[in-house]
Amino acid sequence: MVDFIYTGWGALVVTLLMQIPFLIIFFSIVNKKAFVDNTPAETPAEKYTSTRYLWIAIVLIAFFVVNFASVKYMPTVVEANTKMANVKDVDISATSWKFDMSERNFQVGDTVRFIAKSEDTMHSFALYHPDGELLFTMMLMPGLETASALVHTFDKPGIYMVRCLEYCGVNHHGMRSVITVAEK
Amino acid sequence: MSVANTLIQRAPFFGRMFQIQENELNPVNSWPALMAMTSFVWLSIAAILGLSMPAIQLFDLGSHWYYQNITLHGAAMAFPFAFQLMVAMSLHRAGACLGKRADGILVALTYILMNVGALLLTVAVLMGFHVTYTVMFPLPVVGVMTGQWSMSALVLGFTGIAFVLISMILTYPIKILRMSFFEKKQEELQLAERSMKDPGMIGMVMGVLVLLVTGIPLLSIASPILLYLYGIIPAEWIAWAATPVVFEFIFYIFAHNLMEAMAIMIIGAVYATLPLCTADGSRRLYSDKIANLALWILLVTSLTSFFHHFFTMYPALPSTFAYHGNIMSYGTAIGGALTIFTILATIWKHGLVATPAVFLILGGFVMYILDGVTAIVISNVAWNFKLHGTVWAGGHAMSVLIAISMLWMGMLYYHYPLMTNRTIDDSTARKCIKYFFLSFVGLFYTFLAAGASGMPRRNANWEGDWLIYGALLGVFGTILIYSFYLYFASLRNSKALEF
Ligand code: HEM
Ligand SMILES: [Cu+2]
Repeated sequence: MVDFIYTGWGALVVTLLMQIPFLIIFFSIVNKKAFVDNTPAETPAEKYTSTRYLWIAIVLIAFFVVNFASVKYMPTVVEANTKMANVKDVDISATSWKFDMSERNFQVGDTVRFIAKSEDTMHSFALYHPDGELLFTMMLMPGLETASALVHTFDKPGIYMVRCLEYCGVNHHGMRSVITVAEK
Repeated sequence: MSVANTLIQRAPFFGRMFQIQENELNPVNSWPALMAMTSFVWLSIAAILGLSMPAIQLFDLGSHWYYQNITLHGAAMAFPFAFQLMVAMSLHRAGACLGKRADGILVALTYILMNVGALLLTVAVLMGFHVTYTVMFPLPVVGVMTGQWSMSALVLGFTGIAFVLISMILTYPIKILRMSFFEKKQEELQLAERSMKDPGMIGMVMGVLVLLVTGIPLLSIASPILLYLYGIIPAEWIAWAATPVVFEFIFYIFAHNLMEAMAIMIIGAVYATLPLCTADGSRRLYSDKIANLALWILLVTSLTSFFHHFFTMYPALPSTFAYHGNIMSYGTAIGGALTIFTILATIWKHGLVATPAVFLILGGFVMYILDGVTAIVISNVAWNFKLHGTVWAGGHAMSVLIAISMLWMGMLYYHYPLMTNRTIDDSTARKCIKYFFLSFVGLFYTFLAAGASGMPRRNANWEGDWLIYGALLGVFGTILIYSFYLYFASLRNSKALEF
């Protein structure tokens, strides 16, 4: 469940959960005060104040919860939870418009650290699950000492698409590659 | 007759939208009207280019056209349309509220630099300079080295961008600051007196200060690069500025805060205008203090939230900056939450007069908030790894600009009688608002769903499901263009005010 929340579609669900109550409240107030009865409200001043505190409290709690629950998916924490001794390092060098990878074939259960650098302009290394889901994208800024790096454990066999998601010129869409993951 | 009035009168189709008479109010009306009119010319071209993108994909017309048109569309929508419309409306409001002239050399320079700069960039893009409106440094240079476009296209393109930046970072902010604090007041120009304590004025001053402060570093690194491209200074002198990480960070400190400045300014304008549309005639917000607090929160938190553009560089971006950017981005949303409260409490307390101007403003505000939710979601580090580089991000950039423009277009409806002595065509305006809002919602959620599914942004090869999203963008885009046409018609068919 929490895993789903922190995917692309999960992001859309959370977005809607925040937007829909806003839309309902906003439109009902506007409708009431523009069309049904636009005379000034008799609401006492304290009522506004308590509503304000309640509203800000709800917002703060919601923000705290979505961010706190996401900590597990932050790359530092993912690394801390991974047995680094078993990790396979894969070096990637991105140039317009291809990826050079030190290894492209893996097995289900392999934990891989993708270490990527760009040699010319901005690129990214984005990995797509065989079912089409975007697993992550890494921005590769040229000229940096530190490479971008993320750890990923393969859970399903199949062909994983690799794409560049930072616009890098007239053949940006052609900058892709594949990774093959076999059954154990 | 003044230059601005003459240009408006000579303009085919668009000129009729702003029929300004020669009168003593010209110093606050003429240039803003000319700028608003010109921004709508850019909007018309850029909207067709927007629609061309799904068309290019559906009919497989080639990646060359896609990258050309996305560059032209993004740049034209962001700068000579949305930004110029904001310049027009804010100059007009500053003029009429403070009793200062909204004309003169700085205004003329802003207008010329913005539009000539955008034209030069357009020519460069037509010559092959397909870098998108965020430039993606060092792509412009790498593109020359790899033969993607010519050196002359690069020089022309950067010259155009420099013109546009000077107008946004120097001439326009300085003019607003001069009007706010220095220039002489002329009683006959002051139509609706406001003090500098008014949230509308505070928002405007904050906005231009942000542009100045975050923009000057960008000008400082862009100028030596330009001088090098002109062959005036040697390459060794610019290495410090042309390092990708230096350029990208300074660029995004500006670009992020540019959007925030535009947001702060329009929220200030809403705070200033909404009370004038209340039913009880009190002309008051629920609370000026809370309104100003929201603006201050937006200002302070937005300054350092730009780190969210770089989360996915991990670990090259130290995690501490990532967390900081994450938290500050959510901080801006606290400012947003207070704004929602103030707007609704004002409507609740004082009632609302339902005019087209009010509905366009409220529609823009709703979209601004809906878009804000997508912005904070993608500003969370974990979600960012799943959404950065997808059309979720592109859709957010586009939607915040449409929301801000929709708000200014509502402001224009409101101030139109003041500017032109005419009233808009009410029934066309109401129809426009319906189509505008519905098609915008359609475009918005199509982008979000496509982004959630992992569809890459700025990618000239939509395949599989992505084409379905593309078709939907085509449908909603067509309706949006129709609503723009109705907007123009509501101004073109305006009627002279009777006294
Ligand atoms: C009129 C109908 C419109 C259509 C059909 C349309 C369509 C599109 C499409 C397909 C993209 C490219 C997505 C991608 O590949 O990343 C895009 C990007 C964009 N649009 Fe629009 N758009 C429209 C109106 C607008 C308006 C009114 C604005 C601003 C006020 C705007 C601002 C932008 C911006 C800033 C981008 C980002 C460009 C980039 O990522 O380089 N668009 N639009
Ligand atoms: Cu690339």
